[in-house]
Amino acid sequence: MFRFAINRIAQAIPLMILVVLLVFTMLQFTPGDPVQAMVGQYPVPHEFRAAIEKRYHLNDPLPSRLIQYFGNLLHGDVGYSFQLQRPVLDLVLERAPRTLLLAGAGFLIGVPLGIAIGVVSATTSRRSVDRLWTTATLIAYAIPGFWLGQLLVIIFAMHLGWLPTQGMGPLISRTTGFAWLLERARYLALPAATYAIYEATRAAKLMRASVVETLGQGYIITAKAKGLSRRAIIWRHVLRNSSLPVVTVMGYAFGVAMGGAVLIETVFSWPGIGLLLIDAIRARDNQTIVGVVLFISFAVIVMNLIVDLLYCALDPRIRMGK
Amino acid sequence: MTSPPTPDSVAEGGHRPLGGIARALSAKAYRFLRALAGTRYGLPGLIIISALALIALAAPWLAPYNPLRQVDTSAAPSSWQHPMGTDNIGRDLLSLVIYGTRASLAIGFCTALAALFVGGLVGITAGYWRGATEAVLMRLAELFQTLPVIIVALFAIGLFGASFWLLVGTVALAIWPLEARLIFGQFVSLREREFVAAAIVADLPYRHIILREILPNALPPIIVQVALDASLAILIESGLGFLGLSDPNMISWGQLLFTAQDFLSTAWWMSVFPGLAICIAVIGLNLLADGLNELANPRAAQASPGLVL
Repeated sequence: MFRFAINRIAQAIPLMILVVLLVFTMLQFTPGDPVQAMVGQYPVPHEFRAAIEKRYHLNDPLPSRLIQYFGNLLHGDVGYSFQLQRPVLDLVLERAPRTLLLAGAGFLIGVPLGIAIGVVSATTSRRSVDRLWTTATLIAYAIPGFWLGQLLVIIFAMHLGWLPTQGMGPLISRTTGFAWLLERARYLALPAATYAIYEATRAAKLMRASVVETLGQGYIITAKAKGLSRRAIIWRHVLRNSSLPVVTVMGYAFGVAMGGAVLIETVFSWPGIGLLLIDAIRARDNQTIVGVVLFISFAVIVMNLIVDLLYCALDPRIRMGK
Repeated sequence: MTSPPTPDSVAEGGHRPLGGIARALSAKAYRFLRALAGTRYGLPGLIIISALALIALAAPWLAPYNPLRQVDTSAAPSSWQHPMGTDNIGRDLLSLVIYGTRASLAIGFCTALAALFVGGLVGITAGYWRGATEAVLMRLAELFQTLPVIIVALFAIGLFGASFWLLVGTVALAIWPLEARLIFGQFVSLREREFVAAAIVADLPYRHIILREILPNALPPIIVQVALDASLAILIESGLGFLGLSDPNMISWGQLLFTAQDFLSTAWWMSVFPGLAICIAVIGLNLLADGLNELANPRAAQASPGLVL
C-alpha cells in the first residue's frame, strides 16, 4: 500500500509540472504583446509596462522566465486579475466551495440513482424494461447538459413557477436558520437536478455494463447453486463487486466537476469556478483564465490521485499486483 | 502517401484503370453500406446522418426564409408560416435551424478528421517505434486527457479567439488523445503479429509496413472512434456556441441556444428546437458508431447481456 501510494504520487507530480509547462507554452503563443495580454483590454501606461516587464522578467531569456514562473506558483502567486482588482487565488478560493456544493449535491443524488438504474436494467428478466432504460440512456447521453438545464427552467421555473430560475439566493434575504436553508435549497434544486440527471445517465451506462460482466463470474453461479435468493445475490454479490469500477470512474468525474460544470453554471448563473472562467474569457482577463485553468488541472490530478489511493485501500488485488 | 502510378496506367492515360478503381471502390462502398445497414443500429444511424447531410447541402432550397432577415414579429410562437416560431429579432427559427445543420456537421466532420490525423500521427509514431518516443508522446496524450475537454477548448479560445478553423483546431486539440491512445494500442498489438514480422524480415521499408500492413488491420475500431469524435465535437461546439464563444460569423445550433437563454420566459421554442436538432445529430452519430462497432467486432455485439437472474 505504502509503495503503491509513493509510486502514484511520484506519477502525479511530473503531470502537474507538465500542465504548467503546457500553459506556459500556450501563453508564449498568445498573439500580441505579452504585457497587453496580461492586462487584458485596458490601456497600459508606460511606467506600468516597465514595472510589469521587470516584475515578470519579460526581457529575460525563456528558460529563466520559466523558472521565475514556477517560483511564483510555488509561492502561491497564480496571477492578478486586473479586471476584478484582486489576486486570482482569492477569486478561486472564494468560488471553490460553491462549485463543491453544486457538484456534491449533483453527485450524491445522481450516482446512487444511476447505480440503481444500471442494476435494474442489467438484472431484469423483462426485456422491455431493459430496452426502455437502454434507449433512455442513449437519448440522455445525447442531450447537452446545458440544454437540459434550459428545459428544466422552462418547465419548473417558468411554466409551473415552483423554483427560481437562477442564482444562489435572493439579492436580499431576511430569512434565518432553517428557513434560510430551505430558501437556499430551492435555488440549488434545479442546477443540482440537471447535474444529477447528467451524472445518473453516465453512472447507469457504466453500471449496467459492469453488472453484466459480474453476472458472468463463477461466484454468482456458486451463489445460485447454494440456493441464495435473487435479492440476496444482487445485494451481497452483484452490487458490491460491480459498483467499485463505477465509483472509481465517477470519482474521476468528480475531479473534473471540481473545475465547475462551466455550462450548467452558466445556465443557472451559479457563481462557481466555471462562471469565473467564462467571465474571465469574456473580459479577456488572461491572468484569471490561466489561474483558473491551472487550479482546475491541479484539482483533477489531485482528485484522481485520491481516487486511486482509495481504490487501492478498498481493493486488495491492486495492492498485491504492485 | 499513395503508391506511385504504374507505368502502364500512365501510358494508357489512366482512363480505363481509373474507371476500374472507381467502380471497384463504389462496389466496395456499396457492400460496406449494405453491411452497415444490416447491423442493429447502423440503419437508423445511417438514415439520420444522411438526412442531416442532405439538409445541410440543400439548406438554401429547404429553408423557407432567409435565415438572417427579419420576416415577422419577434418571438412569435409556432404557426403555419413559421413552424418553429421566430426568434427575438423576428427571424424564422426553422430556417436558422436548417442552416445551423451546416455549421454543426462541418465542425463535427472537420474536427473528427483533424483529431484522426493528429492522433493517428502520434499513435502510429509511438506505437511503431516505442521506446523514448512512446514515453514522450503518450505522456503528452495522457496530460491532455487528464484535463477536462471543455476546459482545454475554453483555454485555447480564451487566448486565441474563435473562427471556424480555430474552432476546429481547438476542439481537435481537446479530443485527439482519444484517437492517439486507440491507434497506439492497435499498433502495439499488431506489431507483434507474424505478418508484420514477416514484412520486417523481408526488409520492406517502414512506410510500407505502417501503411500497407498494419494500418488496414487497425482501421475498424478507429473508424468507430471517428464517428464518436464527430458527435463529441458537435456537443463541444454547441457548448461553446451556448457560451457565446463560437465563430460569430456562422449560424450554429449552440449559438441559437445562447440567444435563447435570455428569452426562456417569453419564447421557449427558441431553446427547444435547436436543442432537439443537437440531440438528433448526436444520437445519429452514436447509432452509426454502434453499427460500425458491430461490423468491427461482431462477437462483442453478439455477446448480449447474460440475463441469468
